[in-house]
Amino acid sequence: MKILGISAHYHDAAAALVIDGMPVAAVQEERLSRRKNDAAFPLAAIEHCLEQSGLEPDDLDAVVFYERPMLKFDRILTCALRAFPRSWRSFPHAMKNSLGEKLWVRGIISSHLGVERRKILFTDHHRSHAAAAFLTAPVRDAAILTADGVGEWAALTVGHGTRGPGRTAINLLREIRFPHSLGMLYSTFTAYLGFQVNEGEYKVMGLASYGRPTMADAVRKLIKRTQDGAFRLDLDYFDFHASTKRSFSDKFVELFGPPRDPFDPIDLATAEGRRFADCAASVQKVLEDILVDIAAALHRETGLPDLCLGGGVALNGVANARILSESGFERIFVPPSPGDAGCALGAALYADRVHFGNPDRDIPDHPYWGPVVDAAALAGLARQDDQPVEELEESALIQATARDLFEGRIVGWMDGAMELGPRALGHRSILAAPHTTQMRDRLNRDIKHREQFRPFAPVVPVEAAERYFEMPAGGARLARFMSGVFPVRPEWREKLAAITHVDGTARVQALERGMAPRLYALLEAYGRLSGIPILLNTSFNLSGEPIVNRAVEGYLTFRRCGMDMLVAGQTRVTKRAPAR
Amino acid sequence: MMQSLHRFVWRDAARRARKLLDFAETEADGGRDLVRAAELTKDPVLRRLYAVHAADEERHAALFRGRGTELMRALPVSSPAKSRLNWLTPGERGLDDLRVDGKSDASLLAFLHLSEKTAARHFGAYVDALRDDPSTAAVFREILHDETFHMNYTLAQLNRVAPRQRGMYLWRARLGRLWKAYLRIMAAIAGVIGSVLLIVQYFVLIPPFAFLAKRAERREPDGWKPPPPERPLNSQY
Repeated sequence: MKILGISAHYHDAAAALVIDGMPVAAVQEERLSRRKNDAAFPLAAIEHCLEQSGLEPDDLDAVVFYERPMLKFDRILTCALRAFPRSWRSFPHAMKNSLGEKLWVRGIISSHLGVERRKILFTDHHRSHAAAAFLTAPVRDAAILTADGVGEWAALTVGHGTRGPGRTAINLLREIRFPHSLGMLYSTFTAYLGFQVNEGEYKVMGLASYGRPTMADAVRKLIKRTQDGAFRLDLDYFDFHASTKRSFSDKFVELFGPPRDPFDPIDLATAEGRRFADCAASVQKVLEDILVDIAAALHRETGLPDLCLGGGVALNGVANARILSESGFERIFVPPSPGDAGCALGAALYADRVHFGNPDRDIPDHPYWGPVVDAAALAGLARQDDQPVEELEESALIQATARDLFEGRIVGWMDGAMELGPRALGHRSILAAPHTTQMRDRLNRDIKHREQFRPFAPVVPVEAAERYFEMPAGGARLARFMSGVFPVRPEWREKLAAITHVDGTARVQALERGMAPRLYALLEAYGRLSGIPILLNTSFNLSGEPIVNRAVEGYLTFRRCGMDMLVAGQTRVTKRAPAR
Repeated sequence: MMQSLHRFVWRDAARRARKLLDFAETEADGGRDLVRAAELTKDPVLRRLYAVHAADEERHAALFRGRGTELMRALPVSSPAKSRLNWLTPGERGLDDLRVDGKSDASLLAFLHLSEKTAARHFGAYVDALRDDPSTAAVFREILHDETFHMNYTLAQLNRVAPRQRGMYLWRARLGRLWKAYLRIMAAIAGVIGSVLLIVQYFVLIPPFAFLAKRAERREPDGWKPPPPERPLNSQY
């Protein structure tokens, strides 16, 4: 069967194609349209998926949308009614927003693709998350926890999944409904701290390490635990359910002080800067405590050793590591794209396994489902600009690149198919030596142009991970897709200064040779030169831009910033001079 | 008259700071559009020029951001946020919705040329309006210098790419800008009418349903809920 999964209209639109139970392509629209967090109907992503497999839309057996639009509209309308008359300003906006396009998904899919309406299916938002987490993980039975801002009504679900020769099942046991949402709590603080919602949550997590959770009790006033172990938000402190302008209320400001102006840089040397850091640390702690508690209860209930985590909240690597350490689960599986983009794949797999009842198949355990880079195109572009180009044998290329890195050069690294999800996991990465704070500062200043408090991540061969990082049992699995934050061993912190965060931790990627053999070989070669087989690995993009996809995007990014080398396939370009 | 208007808009320090920070965002967006143009063109000369232009826009964004932040820091803490009156004093391409994808090299060059020309005119007027704030005026002056280069290269390249059709492309770009302006105004009017109608409905039709929804909410227990029963996948509900 040929099943196309689609997610769109909120943030991170994406498409994924599953043929005979196996993904063949999956890509986020932003990587093709080059508009960050593009939420538009993912026509380019769909075209890529179909082209990749030589299919026409008519050949599809089903097209699955990742949520149920009418049910979502039911929630939007009900919340407007509940907030009457406070919602009078947001009501027209919400109605125009929903009635304009988002409600007519079946018609939109049918008109864009020309597929019969009966072939168009809809899954529940959180079932899509659950499927993306569970059906892509190498486990047969696992507990499932999904948490995000909101889907239709559910904002957090727990359940368990079973795969096997019999029938595949995803049973959601219970849910917490909007507006009571961990994702909305965190997003409200993201907005309060002056960052962009759905984009700046990483910054809150990074900033949290600089603060102390001195305001955790104040945060607990906002989110109260219920007797059955769930939680509820005190809506007097929030406005997201009644306003499109602001997500926190005046009462929230009375409790935490004035919000940060987005244009005002955070200066951690000032009392105000420290207040914001403490605020971030406090909401982070409360979020972690609740997640750990819910996960521990789920572990006691299911008795299963494995947990699959999905939803945007699963991008919080610090919380994931605490769940692993404290909930009782032995292994935690977070897919490379736990957010809405991954739901395109989750929805397609759910339809295949559960709706159509097709036999279970193991999904390759990697994130590389996107377009493949064309190294020849890179060589052509660089030659047109008279930039030095070399085409080297594999081992020579690896040795030369390791030498470049060892000598302090910053390398753009494009290899094969692009990752699905927000993290560069070695196919569209910027690599650098991880040893000095000067390198971190240079990356921040010349390439990423981002806040000083945000950390960079390391990539390390899985076999060497425990030598440098304090990984609990199961940590390597969590680190496979850079989903966990772990302490750098104290004796290595000085030598790994560029990737060690202020609190002594790092968001580690533990790389298995089979997943990205070329990067693995590069790590080995670098280890032979430096004595430490670790590289700094950050996403190949500039501030405000999506991760690069094609050679031309990589090349132009390389030309526009302080990167020294660019490698794609066997092609290696050295920067001769700036663009002007 | 326009000069007095510009002076009025730029006189207030808080508004000035905000406007500069907005301009920074617009320039950064413009830079991204030009990067996209560089990615899409097959012409290596244009690719190089667009890359240079994009770098300039990024530098302008940094200049505006830097000066805007300086002004913000100098403001008293309680300075109220004032309307930025962006319709009266737009930034570069601030009111133009540029879609690079699908545009030919010639159409894009014509569009950029007109856009840069307009921006240069505006920025020149702002320099005059900012006589009392030489630091901000200096930022505009520096950017104005680049705008002249952008204006010239886009026209020169348009001559190269479409030597006999330059006039046609420029007229098309002018008409396109007018059409977009018309669409923006109509969309804004339609938006206002739609909002008014929806607000009327909100206060006339909604109250009884709101009462029922609030009552149902009060009766809803806190905490975990059972998930809804699995529904068929062909249902949108």
